[in-house]
Amino acid sequence: MPEPSAVSASLRLPRRGLERLDLLLLCVEALDLNGGEALVWMSEQLGFSALFPNRVELWKRRCHNPLRRNTRRGDLDPAETDALIRLLCALADRLYPLLRALLTSAEPESVRQQRWELFQNRLSALLRERMNPRRVGVQTLLDAERGAALRRQLVQSLALATGTGGFERLRASLADPAA
Amino acid sequence: MKQTLRYDQPSCRLRVDGLPDVSTGQSADALGIITGWSLQWSGRPELEGRKDHLLALVAVVLPYARHLISGVGRPFGAVEDPVRIAPAPESGHHCLQLRSSQPDTAPLELKLDDAELTDLVRLLDQFRLDPRLQLKLDLPEPRPLRPREVLRRVPRRQRLVAPLAGALAVVVAAGVGLLLPDPPARSPQPRSVPAGPAPDAAPERQS
Repeated sequence: MPEPSAVSASLRLPRRGLERLDLLLLCVEALDLNGGEALVWMSEQLGFSALFPNRVELWKRRCHNPLRRNTRRGDLDPAETDALIRLLCALADRLYPLLRALLTSAEPESVRQQRWELFQNRLSALLRERMNPRRVGVQTLLDAERGAALRRQLVQSLALATGTGGFERLRASLADPAA
Repeated sequence: MKQTLRYDQPSCRLRVDGLPDVSTGQSADALGIITGWSLQWSGRPELEGRKDHLLALVAVVLPYARHLISGVGRPFGAVEDPVRIAPAPESGHHCLQLRSSQPDTAPLELKLDDAELTDLVRLLDQFRLDPRLQLKLDLPEPRPLRPREVLRRVPRRQRLVAPLAGALAVVVAAGVGLLLPDPPARSPQPRSVPAGPAPDAAPERQS
């Protein structure tokens, strides 16, 4: 894992990318009940203490998501976004068995449905707590039917962000232009 | 001298056999020449092939995964290429088609679900980023998609709604405009001759 200072040739993420990055982190928290703590712990493990000295600083960076209740204006520094992406990839790597269990079609439909319902309930609780419910994106994610495809897309993105090549893939994806 | 690289994922296992390229000064534990490979899937036939086939698999599957992570599922590889991958009609599935170089051999088609595809992507990432593999792979760096590629994410019907509604509004407005009656033509009013002298007429001198 490269040093935080060595994160170079970085891309400045658009608002849309920051939104997706925070939503993916929220999915990690929905999958792991201790996800908030794991985020801080992983940040220390990866040597990002200088960038995110405490959980408040980490939270402030995540508040650049325009869907948040208390959103912050402005862009994030490329080194900070790269560090957040590395954190996300490392956490997703730890959760890969859970992600895989959600994506597999090898198990009975009832079991899969139960898993997705559990994930949806946890994600909805986090969304209601932290996001602006007037935003269409939040309303879609909260909707059981309309949000199903979007939730699956988020879980699939997390799964593809794992492994040795996941960071580069996810970083390029977050820099996509808006449709 | 012979080297074997092994990579494991829950649903598949890759074994790559080869040799170090001593002519370029590679160490004994490096692999610079691929002599063969095999990919084992749980509950599926084992795949084997030459170096070209493995490189074709990497060159098709990884860009497909790059697009998929952005929510854009589109086919990669032409129909006559050794490897082709495309989204399957069923949601959450992908069709991987492998065409043998042996004549009269029908192409093998594998239907992978999202979990199996992710396993394959992780496996190929492990292989291509292995420091022991000292072989130049001409793979493009992952880059942000172009706006046109991102548009594929939005269904065509949804994409066409706004321009069609705009065009329809213009047509309706033009039609309503044509239905409106023309204002009646006015006949020109005769001008009355002013009683007084013209303002610019020169005053007459009285002698």
